[in-house]
Amino acid sequence: MQTVHRRPKPRVPSRKLQLARVSALLVLFLLPAPLARAQVSFFDPTNFVVMGEGLAAGMADFGLRSVYQEKSFPAQMAQQMDVAFPQPLIQGAGIGSAPGFPSLPVRLPGPDQGAVRKDFPPQLFVFNLSVPGFRVHDALTRRPSPPLVQKQDELQSVTNLILGYPSLILKDKPIWTQAEYAKAMRPSLVLVELGYYDVLEAAATGDPSRMTSVENFRASYSDVLKAVRETDAALIVLTIPDPLDTAYFTPRDSAFQNVRASGEDLQALYNLQPGDLLTPNGLTAIALQIDANEFGPLPAGSVIGADVAAQVRSRVDALNQVIQSLAQEHGALVYDLHGLFARVRDSGLVVSDTITLTRDYLGGFYSLNGYYPGATGHGLIANEVLSLLNGTFGTSFPLIDLAQVAQDDPAVRFIPLKKPSSGELQ
Amino acid sequence: MRLRILLFILLACIAVEQAGFGSAFSIRELGVRAQGMGGAFTAVADDASALFFNPAGIAFQNGLQLEMDSLVVVGLFRFFPSITPPGTIVPEKGYHGSVSPKFIPVGNLYLTKTVNDRITFGLGAFAPFGLAANFTNFNDGDPARGKYPGRFAGTRARLEVFWLQPTIAFKLSPNSSVAVGPAFIHTHLFYEQSILSPYDDGKTFGREVAGQLFPGQNPAEAARSIARLLPEGRFRLAGTANSPGINIGYLYRHPGTRTSIGFSYRSGTAHHLKGKASFAFTDDSAIAPFLPESQTIEDLFPTQDASGLFQTPATYNIGVANTSLPGTTLALDVTFQDYHRFRELPINFTQTSETATPPERKIQFDFRNSVVVSGGLEKRMGEDMAVRAGFVFDHSPVPDKSTGPLFPDNSRFSFTVGASKRRGNTEFSVFYQAMKFFDRTTNVAENNNQFTNGLYDSFAHLAGVGLRLYIGN
Repeated sequence: MQTVHRRPKPRVPSRKLQLARVSALLVLFLLPAPLARAQVSFFDPTNFVVMGEGLAAGMADFGLRSVYQEKSFPAQMAQQMDVAFPQPLIQGAGIGSAPGFPSLPVRLPGPDQGAVRKDFPPQLFVFNLSVPGFRVHDALTRRPSPPLVQKQDELQSVTNLILGYPSLILKDKPIWTQAEYAKAMRPSLVLVELGYYDVLEAAATGDPSRMTSVENFRASYSDVLKAVRETDAALIVLTIPDPLDTAYFTPRDSAFQNVRASGEDLQALYNLQPGDLLTPNGLTAIALQIDANEFGPLPAGSVIGADVAAQVRSRVDALNQVIQSLAQEHGALVYDLHGLFARVRDSGLVVSDTITLTRDYLGGFYSLNGYYPGATGHGLIANEVLSLLNGTFGTSFPLIDLAQVAQDDPAVRFIPLKKPSSGELQ
Repeated sequence: MRLRILLFILLACIAVEQAGFGSAFSIRELGVRAQGMGGAFTAVADDASALFFNPAGIAFQNGLQLEMDSLVVVGLFRFFPSITPPGTIVPEKGYHGSVSPKFIPVGNLYLTKTVNDRITFGLGAFAPFGLAANFTNFNDGDPARGKYPGRFAGTRARLEVFWLQPTIAFKLSPNSSVAVGPAFIHTHLFYEQSILSPYDDGKTFGREVAGQLFPGQNPAEAARSIARLLPEGRFRLAGTANSPGINIGYLYRHPGTRTSIGFSYRSGTAHHLKGKASFAFTDDSAIAPFLPESQTIEDLFPTQDASGLFQTPATYNIGVANTSLPGTTLALDVTFQDYHRFRELPINFTQTSETATPPERKIQFDFRNSVVVSGGLEKRMGEDMAVRAGFVFDHSPVPDKSTGPLFPDNSRFSFTVGASKRRGNTEFSVFYQAMKFFDRTTNVAENNNQFTNGLYDSFAHLAGVGLRLYIGN
């Protein structure tokens, strides 16, 4: 018997099914394809604008002057990033004064100065807007005002020469605050180094009442970041270094190398307690008295008591918390300058086989004022910030050769050739 | 009287704006019956729109025919940039380009009249080229972060190329005809783009003044900084041109095989535009207040007379149609356009002394030639009704480097459907076309500074309605 294999009947889709298939195809055809949404926004440092106070300005020794301005960390960064960075370079002895040291009357032009600004004819705009002596609040409210030089108001004169030149000598030109100026420059990268002076002056003068309150600082700093954020620029903020970590403040027990007297001796002679800090004025007075073997009360401003130091440290920590929190709120990068100063305090900075900088007074890291770094210190800050940018944005800005910077750094030349390795009070 | 009123309405319709939905700025959808068949009409050419598709076709039409077709277009253009300036906030669904106004009735008018057994006269008024691109999503004063980043490659363009084409067709034999239609062409072009980009032309301006603004700085570095400090501007050009053109056609109908073959040619045209160039700038530039009173930004960029040269391509159509199947017409067309003529748009300025306007600015396009293949069928349903379907493949002439806000273009497929209903001496026709552009991702190095690289995703809906009147025999 033959088995008949019946071929299966081909399945003919029903008309309904066919219609459904055609409809589905039509719908697929009509539907827009899913879109790729990945965009790349590149990092553009072209208009690198810096809002800061004396540290970012390049203030060193006892004034703001071109020799250090040209080596300020923002200037060194700009050079590595290949971007223009016009600065308000100051001739000769400079302008401004260093807190904790005797302030001199405003005399401009001063010695070795002609137009005061070295860039003459001047840059139409400057990108380093940092003004020595600026607190955060000043960045928002203090604007240049005529006359250019104000004998009774040094900060205003410095502001005029940095933010108001050449606007003040021309007619009907914009007069911007630091924040307004920064916005007007349409920055692509903004670095904010504000807050150091808010605690530095108080620390250097031993007067905690001069510190900016946390509430006022928060309000002003927030407004600064808001203003910058409106520009669409990449934003990097620096935490506030602790002034007590700098060379301006020498712990009683570390003063031996400067005055060749132990902590116990200093306690016996001047009633200095553990935790008290000596200023450069104090070190100088003690050294002179020891040298002359004539002891008497130390001049005012020689010692910062442990209680004042504690208040300063506490305020610095509080302000840095504000910075961290506001930076997060405004999407800013944070560079921990506070941490860097602490590292230098603890470990110094090895620049080369033959050069090691320390946080000590005349240790090479800081300039003669003790709290603003020299050119090599600025180079270190620049390298740290550049590394942060490279790590964050995938850029490859080359780092600075610190040994080369150190060769021409006056602060490094101040290091005594040979420090006494031992000795005692004669 | 009714005819006069109708004529007036139709003439008013012809004056509306045009939009290109064929290759680049071509408009192929100039006959509703034809478009129902995907525009494969060169060998069919059996209504008055033959004046556009193949003028030889009017030789086989009797009496007086009047036809008007209107088109509505909704273009959906989306762009996702692959790279943007820092701070740019790209909308979640990309940037939307549009035709503006959104719904554009494109009118055309055709009239044919039999003169005698061999000669037919026709008059066509239509716009075979047009553009209404609009990628302006911003006001000048808006923050840069929200503005469309490709604005420096163009924001708006409007092109209207009107052909007024009287035509005479001559029957060579009972089955073949030729036609010639010399045309008067009136062109209007409006073009707008943002200028002084910090990443592009602003640097050129910056180099000129780097030494004065930032003495002592590296000039190249200073130029980049100055470019960011300049105001953002918009440049606009509006011009018109009048030119001659010609449209010729040939049609052969083989009765034995019921097959027709058609050919038509429409000339390319050089449009010598004359018009005005104008500039406008934002007022938030840091530099502007420091410029001398005698050299403000407005002084540097004055409104002025300008001229330009705009090329439209020649069009070659060849088609074949067959009516062997009962009540059915099948048609296939191939269209070639020599878009390579459209290499650039040179704009010549007249006020170049003591201003910042250059003698000439060339906008490069470098288009390539395009080919369109279309096919369709018409099925007659009794005496008064017909339905149609068709497809179109349109190979875009726009190269990657010119893909941007003015031409968010790519090759595309279309499907069309249509129908006609005749009542007395009047026929109404409709069609719908779904046009899907192939997604296009561009990555052209020289466009990086214009931020036009990225993904282009476009779709268009087209619909048309047509009215045809038969008057007389």
